[in-house]
Amino acid sequence: MTKYIIRRVLQFVLIVFIANSLTFIVPRLVRGDPITEFLNNQQILNPNPEFETWVADYKARFGVDRPLWQQYLSFWAGVLKGDFGYSITAFPQTVWHRIRVALPWTIGLVSTGTLLAFLVGALLGALLGWPDAPQIFQWLVPVLMILGGIPFWLFSFAVIWLFAVELQLFPPSGGINMLDVLIQGNTLQAHVTSILQHAALPIFVFVIFGIGGWGLSMRANLIMTLGEDYILFAHAKGLPERRIFLRYGVRNALLPVITALAMAIGGIISGSTLLESAFSYPGLGGVVGTAIGQRDYFVISGAAFFMILSSALALLLVDLLYPLIDPRVRYQ
Amino acid sequence: MATAQKRDAKIRKTSLKLNTELVLGAAVLGAIILFSLIGPLFVDRDDSLLGKFPPGLKPNSTNLLGTDLQGRDIFTTLVYAAPQTLQVGALTGIISLGLGAFMGVLAGFFPGRMDDVIRFVSDILVAIPAIAFLMVFVARMENPSIYVIALSISFLAWPGPARAIRSQVLTLRERQYIAIARANGEREMEVLFREVLPNVFPLLLAMFIGAVNGGIGTAMALEVLGLVATRRYLSLGLMVFWVQRMGGILRGMWWWWGPPILLIALIFTGLLFLSSGMNIFVNPRLASYGAAAKRKTNARIKELLLARKTAAKKMAPPNSEAILEVRNLSVIYETADGPVKAVNDVSFFIRPGERMGLIGESGSGKTTAATALMRLSRPPAYITTGQVLLEGRDLMSISDEELRRMRLKEIAMVPQAAMNALNPVMRIGDQIKDGLIVHEGRMSKAALNQRVAEVLEMVNLPLEIAQQYPHQLSGGMKQRATMAIAVALRPKVILADEPTSALDVVVQKRVMVTLMRLQRELGAAVILIGHDIGLMTQFVDRLGVLYAGKLVEWAPVEDVLTNAFHPYSRMLIESLPTLTHKKRLIGIPGMPPQLLNLPAGCPFVPRCPLAFDRCQTETPEPQWMDAQRQVTCHLYPEHKTLPPLPLRELEAVVAAGG
Repeated sequence: MTKYIIRRVLQFVLIVFIANSLTFIVPRLVRGDPITEFLNNQQILNPNPEFETWVADYKARFGVDRPLWQQYLSFWAGVLKGDFGYSITAFPQTVWHRIRVALPWTIGLVSTGTLLAFLVGALLGALLGWPDAPQIFQWLVPVLMILGGIPFWLFSFAVIWLFAVELQLFPPSGGINMLDVLIQGNTLQAHVTSILQHAALPIFVFVIFGIGGWGLSMRANLIMTLGEDYILFAHAKGLPERRIFLRYGVRNALLPVITALAMAIGGIISGSTLLESAFSYPGLGGVVGTAIGQRDYFVISGAAFFMILSSALALLLVDLLYPLIDPRVRYQ
Repeated sequence: MATAQKRDAKIRKTSLKLNTELVLGAAVLGAIILFSLIGPLFVDRDDSLLGKFPPGLKPNSTNLLGTDLQGRDIFTTLVYAAPQTLQVGALTGIISLGLGAFMGVLAGFFPGRMDDVIRFVSDILVAIPAIAFLMVFVARMENPSIYVIALSISFLAWPGPARAIRSQVLTLRERQYIAIARANGEREMEVLFREVLPNVFPLLLAMFIGAVNGGIGTAMALEVLGLVATRRYLSLGLMVFWVQRMGGILRGMWWWWGPPILLIALIFTGLLFLSSGMNIFVNPRLASYGAAAKRKTNARIKELLLARKTAAKKMAPPNSEAILEVRNLSVIYETADGPVKAVNDVSFFIRPGERMGLIGESGSGKTTAATALMRLSRPPAYITTGQVLLEGRDLMSISDEELRRMRLKEIAMVPQAAMNALNPVMRIGDQIKDGLIVHEGRMSKAALNQRVAEVLEMVNLPLEIAQQYPHQLSGGMKQRATMAIAVALRPKVILADEPTSALDVVVQKRVMVTLMRLQRELGAAVILIGHDIGLMTQFVDRLGVLYAGKLVEWAPVEDVLTNAFHPYSRMLIESLPTLTHKKRLIGIPGMPPQLLNLPAGCPFVPRCPLAFDRCQTETPEPQWMDAQRQVTCHLYPEHKTLPPLPLRELEAVVAAGG
């Protein structure tokens, strides 16, 4: 078992290492350095007479004047110290600071959304895969198909328009309204209320348009499972329908869905980028959106590092936890 | 060999058959493509330039869909943006699938180092979140074109298709007909192109749709994030980006964000319909589960049950000496090409404590019959007529609940393929216990454990097995475990469906001996189903021979061995080697018939050495020769015994490879 864990952890380290090396080196081979590009743009808007020295100064500060291999080594040295460099647009601010402030927002929003969508979806899927479920439920299948087939962030616009602009039930953007909180007396309750109000719409989008995927995959797994020989034998044993469905059907059909859930949680950081940017949410997605708009390259690549890290971590977690839920998989 | 090849060909055929979803998907996408093709005829490209019109106009007579905040005509912009979006998708589909197919076929055909390298690379790529890599990559590019975007996305997207194709190639390579093609001297590459690729094609098509979908989704994510917001690039995703950037939603400009989002949703819906239409190939079991299919079969089942009940009324009173009596049992399989009669008018009985064998080639209907005896047939199999009387009660007409209570307690099954008959996530002990609790009610933990220990001992399994999961047991142990479950409640009738088919010869014999010992101890009647007539005759008192769904002979086993009435059973006996005297073994030339659209006449006619005119035109009915014997053959009742078979001629036919 120790050997199994060590192997998985090594695999995790390898994935993080190679993936981040790729995202470090490949873009830098494309063209120039991000500093010159950024300053070139600044020069157009706001000419600086000593452009050359200005560029050289910035290049030295961001370390991009050195050869690529030196930059690469200091990138990893920095990562080990938790140093991801500086933001170009908000110079003294570090990339790590921007990310650290944003992470809790993203994790809170997306894990709530994913879990809710999973719970509702898996329940619905199980119901749809149940042979004795009322016929009427089958009409939900095409609905779920369409909901699950269209990228969910697309609906953010319609949701914002309907609930925030037309009906004005919820705030259209942001994560918390500090002004409101201060007016309410800066209490914990005021904080929580404001956060929930702001999270309501994004989570709504998450759940309504996420249940399709979860529901359909649960239903598909269940139908495949109900065709297995052990289901037939369970019927031959004279077990009641409900017991066969739950202990023999759902229990087995859940296994792959749980893996998918773990993977989805790993994709939290990257998966919500578009949703967050549609709602101008203060999470990592919002940071990325702003950084792209400002061409703040170091913030973008710092965020990419965390996206890779979290999905590799999820892979590791699945590998470590799976033997606990499926007895067929042993630590070997 | 022939069947595997035919099945593949059939899958290919059904996959390309049109269904509603495919038509709907193609119609939606076709309409969008048409829109982007003929749209330019009606609009002026210059109308999509910045500042051409006053910004933020509502839809009016000049600007059909109004203008955006940059003064573009929205309808014109849509006309030129839609094809770009479709192109990115199609390009990504082609590139990632081409790359994936190439890598997958390479990995599948050259296992070993090549396979390892490809798998390593794809494992790494799969672990990278696409958006993370693409945003750092694309952010460094100046004015990326859709080709560059499609290429970048494909760089991360190929491992999915590659994996699917690799495993498909590996399964197909295992198929016998490909081995035969190779043995016939076709070279590896020829085999690849002639035999493998046509079979992978439908899968490729389905995956292409998936890749297009992924391509559009990912490209759109980059566009909406503003990574490609350049002058060379105009797409639906970019329209959404500008809406977002300029606050089009908060300004209530629904005509600005509505149309592109609607169009995007339509594109995805079209792709969705296409891929779900293709699911019929990729996942047939799922496809047959649709609401319509279920409604149809529900109605049919009601009809069948009604017919069965009316037929039951006309039947004679039950045979009083039988514990289980089967009367005129027929089972059909509903297929796309029509019903197949898998079990056709089968009748027999078995007395308490007796052992009966039911033998037949694969496809003769023996497992279908066994499943039907306990009314366990699952769609597409349906019991159409017949009674199964267990101590006089008809299992076919009692309520589901009554039947459920009788299963395991009165009549139990030792399933075929014990490998898969046990729930993989439940301990063996719990799988024995749940049957006990359901039929005998709650009992104390100690009593339950005591019962589990007893039944495990009955089948010669150590007690520790109770704590283990099925995958920890060997094949023989799993078969014993299923036997332990089956005998736990001392049923009166046990159906053993090829209980030894997946085991090696030594274990086979031991499992059979255990089963027979249990049968004696419990005094149960056993129906043993199998294809090995040699093994069978050692253990049974009575033998039924199935051919093409018909019970062609049913008699005490000595009678079948010494004086078989049906030419088929006689030939089966002749094919058995004996220890006492040397003889030439004679096989049965020919193949069993296809059951679909079986022509009139005896199904055995093409292989029967004694066939005469009547056999070609008239289907024989089962007839009782006396209370203990049935035969289904036109030779009777004119003949009293089977005329001698022309064995020499048969030998010649077999030798000639017939």
